[in-house]
Amino acid sequence: MRYDCVIIGGGLSGLTCGIRLAEKGARCAVISTGMSALHFSSGSIDLFGNEGEGKIVFRPFEYLEKFIGSNPLHPYARCGSSRVREALFYFRDQLDLEDIDLYNNDDANHFHVTTLGTLKPTFFSQRSVFNEKIRLAFEKKSKIAALNFEGYRDFYPELAVINLKRNVLFRNIEISSGKILYPDYGDPQRNPFEYRSIDIARIFDTERYLEDLAAQIRTAAGDAAFAAMPAFLGITNFKRHHQLLQQLTGLLIYEIPTLPPSILGMRIDNALKSRFAALGGVYIAGDTVRGGTIAGGRLESVFTENGGSSALYAGSFVLASGSFFSGGLVSEFSRVREPVFGLRVYSHAERSKWHAQEFFPRNGHPFLEFGVETDERFNPLTDDGQRLGNLYCTGALLPHYNPIREGSGGGVAVSTGYRAAELILAGNR
Amino acid sequence: MIKLENISFDHCIKCTVCTIYCPVARATHHFPGPKQSGPDMERLRIKSPGLLDDSLKYCTNCKRCEIACPSNVKIADLIQSSKWRYFRKAFRVRDFFLARTDLMGGVATRASFLVNFFIKLFPVKFFLDRFMKIPSERRFPRYAQGTFRAWYKKHRKEQEAFAEKAVYFHGCYVNYNNHDLGKDVVTVLNAMNVGVIVTDEKCCGVPLIANGYIDKARKNALFNIESLARSASESGARIVSASSSCSFALKHEYPNLLELDNSAIFDGLDYITRFIHERFEKGNVPAMGPVPVRAAYHSPCHLERMGGVMNTIEVLKKIPGLELTILHSECCGIAGTYGFKKEYYKVAQKVGDELFKRIERANPEIVITDCETCKWQIEMSTPYRVEHPVTVLARAIDGKKL
Repeated sequence: MRYDCVIIGGGLSGLTCGIRLAEKGARCAVISTGMSALHFSSGSIDLFGNEGEGKIVFRPFEYLEKFIGSNPLHPYARCGSSRVREALFYFRDQLDLEDIDLYNNDDANHFHVTTLGTLKPTFFSQRSVFNEKIRLAFEKKSKIAALNFEGYRDFYPELAVINLKRNVLFRNIEISSGKILYPDYGDPQRNPFEYRSIDIARIFDTERYLEDLAAQIRTAAGDAAFAAMPAFLGITNFKRHHQLLQQLTGLLIYEIPTLPPSILGMRIDNALKSRFAALGGVYIAGDTVRGGTIAGGRLESVFTENGGSSALYAGSFVLASGSFFSGGLVSEFSRVREPVFGLRVYSHAERSKWHAQEFFPRNGHPFLEFGVETDERFNPLTDDGQRLGNLYCTGALLPHYNPIREGSGGGVAVSTGYRAAELILAGNR
Repeated sequence: MIKLENISFDHCIKCTVCTIYCPVARATHHFPGPKQSGPDMERLRIKSPGLLDDSLKYCTNCKRCEIACPSNVKIADLIQSSKWRYFRKAFRVRDFFLARTDLMGGVATRASFLVNFFIKLFPVKFFLDRFMKIPSERRFPRYAQGTFRAWYKKHRKEQEAFAEKAVYFHGCYVNYNNHDLGKDVVTVLNAMNVGVIVTDEKCCGVPLIANGYIDKARKNALFNIESLARSASESGARIVSASSSCSFALKHEYPNLLELDNSAIFDGLDYITRFIHERFEKGNVPAMGPVPVRAAYHSPCHLERMGGVMNTIEVLKKIPGLELTILHSECCGIAGTYGFKKEYYKVAQKVGDELFKRIERANPEIVITDCETCKWQIEMSTPYRVEHPVTVLARAIDGKKL
């Protein structure tokens, strides 16, 4: 099988890259082992949220201008700040075509609330998570009600309220918590404790129970102007259900990301896949690339677990296989390796220096900064020092940035994926 | 003692992604989903089979959970194997006959006219529904008169004369129900200068596995591995199958679920569109006339699990005049014999509902799919005729009407 480009990894970075390439007419295939880390994400796209030592970045692009100069190896530095901007707004436009509206506070960050009730700076959020009306209501110090279904175990409004009240921003805001009940749909076999976000999203998606739920929300919210709820207001058509629910209740309904599976992340995943397919991209799910044939500094083909002896050929390849969690990097007792091609990895020789002593260190764990060493064109080196000129590494696989400390994971995934596509397109011209 | 190689369930990080993509969990709350029925319950089952929760019976073995799993857990295999490892084996006449496709086919093809006639009669349907628990709504595939193998016997000589040959595993459906598909395989491969070899074979084992007849499935598997390997090595040929589920069983269920060594056939075995597409890419494309038809393509679950969908799509794209819509990947719900059982029939139809709606919206003249049971399900549940990709290809080659 021959493609113009084969992308290994079907997450945020791989799909952004694939969409850009396919839009420009390249024949692309994305190969993905299982579903991507978007299913575990907040569904907001961070750009740059923290300077370190707990200092928040309010204007990320301005901050990047200075930051890049002193951190030349950082993936953002290798993209260049104007290209990071181009990539992020390209991403927003692509999602817009799939009916996902992303909100950004112009060039400034905004905050989204986490499951535990802490605040996280981010750049893009879905409009059910943040929008102008929510900002306005917040500035007016309107009362908030944090609601949950009785028995749903992946969100505890009481806990979120305690944490929110500790925050300066919420000091003069009244927050209550409340419960609503699952609609009765005549199925006594299931215990409410068993429901996960996806089961509830499907209840909303049927639309049959919206009126009943709206009445319950209305009562539970009391005199609040907001109802903050775990993010499970449906997947297909959620925009319509969100609007309907706001109309029926007369409240602003605000979504808080939950424990996995993340409905907010899945909406983005669905939108990206659908966009990629609409542009003629081929998405190969449930298969794993096992290795490739390298000749004369080029990757000629890759072979997969299911494909056996029949290889996939392409002019260019993108490795967007993620970090440790997604299997793009593998840690062994005394080393960190890249499992597909055995590429050269940046890490620390001494295992004790891989991690900080605390579980939640302020500056993040060093292992988060490990990854596949590349040049400024995102081309990696093989273990024996050969540069692979047609293989581009993007996303969480890259070293020299710390997504947790910086709050930059989404932005790096999007901008490096986009940058790789631009490099590939320029090379073909 | 827990065997160390059998702890793939331990790689499960409880992310629930499999349950999101499980078509059965979406259709019914009675199935707690692959995570709970597979890796979660496996821990308990290992401790004590008494802790078995029989809701796992709802699993159709479509394998979509395994495609979704980011941690490479063989979730469906865990659930399927529990069906025979832990359940008390009670003999059920219905399951015995549903599982024995070759036995049933062997008898029915001797008097297919009568069988096809009687199976549609109300009293027969009533009897099957009431006493055999086969829902009266379910439409049965028609039996053919005689077998595909008998037809092939008459053509063996000319097929053996080709320099390049392929060993063709035809499966029960072609042998007993749809000879035409087998003949279409011959038409297409011949047009590409490939002769077709048919050797001894038994049912691939898919219905046996689904109904818990695991010893019989293993016996068939060993027979097929031996027979196909021998025939392939004698003629130096590759092995092809035009049924996505047969191919999936031969290639993946044998080693993963039946724990048999199929390395003798693994590398040489292709689902037919991979075989065809590889030759197309090398320039071996037969002369084709236009097939001016508006078609919607449905990708069967087991072909998705094997990673073969792109081959079928690429092959179909080569057919002049064919107007192709690729349907969003959805399970049709029948899952082989699952949809023939009264206790699951409603679930099966609800699973398929999303696909049926999408077909409707695509407004095609025909539906194309690689799997025979998907075909039965779609033809029963929608007004559209369903054809195999090889059949469409054969019509482009021989110019007959599709």
